[in-house]
Amino acid sequence: MRALRSLTPFARRLALSAFALWCMFPIYWLAMMSLKTQVDAMARRPKFLFAPILDNYLTVLSDPAIWTYFANSAIVALASTALALLIGLPAAYVLARYRFRANADYGFWILTTRMTPPVAVLIPFFVMYVKTGLIGTHAGLIVAHVAINLSIVVWLMKGFFEDLPGELEEAAAIDGATYFQAFAHICLPVVLPGIAAVAILAFLFSWNEFLFALVLGGNDVRTVPLGLYAFVGYQQVRWGELSAASIVLLVPVLLFVLIFQKQLIRGLTMGAVK
Amino acid sequence: MNKMKMPTGGLHLTVDRRSFLRATSILAAGGAITLRSGLPVHAQENSAELLKLYADAKVDWQKNKGQTIVLGGLEHPWMNAVVPLIPLFTQLTGIEVKVDKQSETEFSASMPVKLGGGSATPDVFMIWALGQAISAKWLQPLDAFRNDASLFDAAWYDEPDIFSSARSFEKWSDGASYGLAITAEAQTLFMNKSMLDAKGLSAPASMDDLLKLAVALKSEEVAGIAMRAKPTGDAAPWTLAGFVFSYGGAYVTKDGKSGLAMPESIAGLDMYGKLLREAGPVGIASYHWMECLNDFMQGAVAIGCDSSNFATDIEDKSKSTVAGNTLFGVLPASEGKPAKPNMWHWMAGINAKSANKDAAWLFLMWATSKPTSTLAAAVGLATPRGSAWQTSAFRDRFGAQAADAALKNLQAADGDLFKAAWFHPKAPEILDAVGIAVNEVVTGSKDATKAFGDADGKVRQALEM
Amino acid sequence: MDARTRFIILMLTPATVLLLGLTIFPFIASVAMSLSNYSMVTPDSLAFAGLQNYFKLLQAEEFWTALRATALFTVLAVAIQLALGVAIATFLHHETRAVPLLRAIYLLPMAITPVAAVFTFRMMLNPSLGVFNYLLKLVGLPPQDWLGTPAMAMTSLLIVDTWQWAPFILLIAAGGLAAMDEEPLQAARMDGATEAQVFFHHTLPALLPYLGVAIVFRAIDAFKTFDIIFVLTGGGPGVATRTLNLLAYKHGIEFLSMGYAAAIAIVMLAITIIAAQVFLRRMRMFVPRAAL
Repeated sequence: MRALRSLTPFARRLALSAFALWCMFPIYWLAMMSLKTQVDAMARRPKFLFAPILDNYLTVLSDPAIWTYFANSAIVALASTALALLIGLPAAYVLARYRFRANADYGFWILTTRMTPPVAVLIPFFVMYVKTGLIGTHAGLIVAHVAINLSIVVWLMKGFFEDLPGELEEAAAIDGATYFQAFAHICLPVVLPGIAAVAILAFLFSWNEFLFALVLGGNDVRTVPLGLYAFVGYQQVRWGELSAASIVLLVPVLLFVLIFQKQLIRGLTMGAVK
Repeated sequence: MNKMKMPTGGLHLTVDRRSFLRATSILAAGGAITLRSGLPVHAQENSAELLKLYADAKVDWQKNKGQTIVLGGLEHPWMNAVVPLIPLFTQLTGIEVKVDKQSETEFSASMPVKLGGGSATPDVFMIWALGQAISAKWLQPLDAFRNDASLFDAAWYDEPDIFSSARSFEKWSDGASYGLAITAEAQTLFMNKSMLDAKGLSAPASMDDLLKLAVALKSEEVAGIAMRAKPTGDAAPWTLAGFVFSYGGAYVTKDGKSGLAMPESIAGLDMYGKLLREAGPVGIASYHWMECLNDFMQGAVAIGCDSSNFATDIEDKSKSTVAGNTLFGVLPASEGKPAKPNMWHWMAGINAKSANKDAAWLFLMWATSKPTSTLAAAVGLATPRGSAWQTSAFRDRFGAQAADAALKNLQAADGDLFKAAWFHPKAPEILDAVGIAVNEVVTGSKDATKAFGDADGKVRQALEM
Repeated sequence: MDARTRFIILMLTPATVLLLGLTIFPFIASVAMSLSNYSMVTPDSLAFAGLQNYFKLLQAEEFWTALRATALFTVLAVAIQLALGVAIATFLHHETRAVPLLRAIYLLPMAITPVAAVFTFRMMLNPSLGVFNYLLKLVGLPPQDWLGTPAMAMTSLLIVDTWQWAPFILLIAAGGLAAMDEEPLQAARMDGATEAQVFFHHTLPALLPYLGVAIVFRAIDAFKTFDIIFVLTGGGPGVATRTLNLLAYKHGIEFLSMGYAAAIAIVMLAITIIAAQVFLRRMRMFVPRAAL
């Protein structure tokens, strides 16, 4: 048993590193591809060593369209994440902390909004958006993404709220706080790490969402996944540009994740005093 | 030969003057179409001259001045060649054109949603499934525009210049026309020249020759032949068709019934399956055009058989290791029957719900006219106009040998067989069943008779509904 | 109405308004479509068809084939990703060095735009030019036909899906671990429990509510998986990986039979609802744990 214990840290690190390599390898391959000519990228014996070129990055970065995609995605993903939190957190809180008759059914109804396969609802959505003028607007796509992500915000945050000790609100009530103050000032700060994790998820889901962005955003609000898909053309795939653009557009996403991670860790240390 | 080559930076546009004169018969002596790269088409020094090419048409170009139309298309050589020329159209007509360009997958996924939802835009769009679009009443019949003297000048437009296969594409079974052809592709054989030479072999004269050749070229290192076998409607059915048709078979017979159970069709599928099983690369069952093309361009496979359009990629040194080392050839015939390679013309049409139909027509006519086709061909676009194929600019760009092979295959193709299947309102169901059958034969899970027998059942059922 | 009730209603109002406004009409419309013969190809013969689409669907062999493929894919994907995600999250929880870096790396598969990732996998899995077979050959293993046989195609899809989504479970599990009360664990260790015992008797039960949510969402999304399958196998070989969502897409967007496609979608919805109800009841996730 002792031997096993001393082995554990090593085995653990091995597993963590292996998983990291596994996560990175396709991205590494994509990054390498972005530095290759098309001939090298497809080479018969895959090339690990090659003369790198920057042409793909120059092409991609000098194309103003890529910045439009970035701006559209940033606006839609940030706004829809913020809005999903704003709307989802209160709902998650009462579902987690309050017993009332429709509690379970309401929670489940929110969940069903994620279950519907998109094929059947695309046309109704399109018609609805055309009629209300939301088609091809940032606002329209933001709202659609909030609807897609609300369920995950509510259900994940419900878990974090449920883990809080029951005395929190009692203590707040004794101090004369209203129901809302107990929620906003007492409970919310404690679940910050949870919020950070959920925000990262909602952001990524929105950033990479394809189908609704395609049908509801269209050419007016072209987001990153649509923009990148354009490199997959008729009878040709422009590998160099596809890989370079996806690497360039990965950077802001990573920045966002890192910023929230900091928040997450800070929240953790704050939470430790509870 | 009075041939002019102007340094034009990135965009080489040289027009053999005599053929161009024949093509446009408008250009004043001494002029040539040259475009300086980096400058938009309307800012070129000779934009006035370019505009003159259209001025001779007895058409009221300015009739719909001030309107705005939306052009819907996919990431495709036609869009890439024509969109940069649009400023010329706007200058000519005063009509603004908004371009809505998507990848093929996005386009074919979002267009049914938009048009099915009753959208009035795009006004002009590339037609991804003609039979469906006509049945669904998404397309405006074009005959009324053709009969309107203010909108159409037949002499100037010169329809006889358009390939007959393309003109037959434009005629629907009800006699009306719902779209204009914008490109021309034919199934073409690509062969790795040095691999042929190394074994002292030459291009095949018959289907059986092709099989022998492919098997002879297969080695540990290199596969003999790669063709599409992925089980989706947009993959294997297109290349298989050249084989089925050349054996005398059909996907859909002329009287509109399933032709899959015909012995001739089965023979075509059998040969296709044999080629890929006996001489294909490992994993051929998941190959779409992308895998076939990559393998060929990397010298991993000796023979390919796909769209003539791939010539521009195959001959591009930055993409291909076999540039300058490829022999383009005709699809061989099976014993005693004419070879019937498959073919394809992309078409564009007008949205039946469009609010700017006349403007949309003017655009469509402009885009398919001789001058525009010549300009587009100069950047390598395979248009359906014979005159454009003759220009040296096009032949330089596309490759003379590839162009000749493509033309021969186009002329050998049987447009009616193609139309019976691909323009059927149930085309997607039919092609889906064919795709699965090809895949089953290639993987060896069924023989050709059983695979097409089962597909035949599915198609019959779909046709009844 | 007392203050408590008013508070509950107010807190739920924004979510209710948004979801009602956005999902009710499309839902009713798709149910209506599923009860009609609506096909865009024959716009003039639109008529009420009762349950015809459903009868036809349940009698079609392709439906049952697709259901089997979908169920297999969903169950295996969720199981593998759950095991992997929880294991790595637990390791990471005990780790002190390089944690922020590792966490960022683990998020890469979810952060990269799926079209780029999936097409990269398509290249890597290519039997003749791909790097996977190249690496196999380097270590002396035979090259594989990654997408060629039904079993290999399903395996490859699971590999790609796991690459992309194991990090999802990992992130949620890590969040749960961070929020967990460490005291009972320490007490158990003091009592001489092994790390394995602590994990299975204390850590895992405390994590269950979080994992329950992770499983539910992963299962819902895996059940609807589309782009990976569409790009890599197109449903093949044959129809071995043609899942329900692919089937619905084919009938709706390619064949334009919206009525039939809507019926497939509604059946998928029904299956998901039943499965989720059973699962959530089993996990006792309907009852708020700290109810006021």
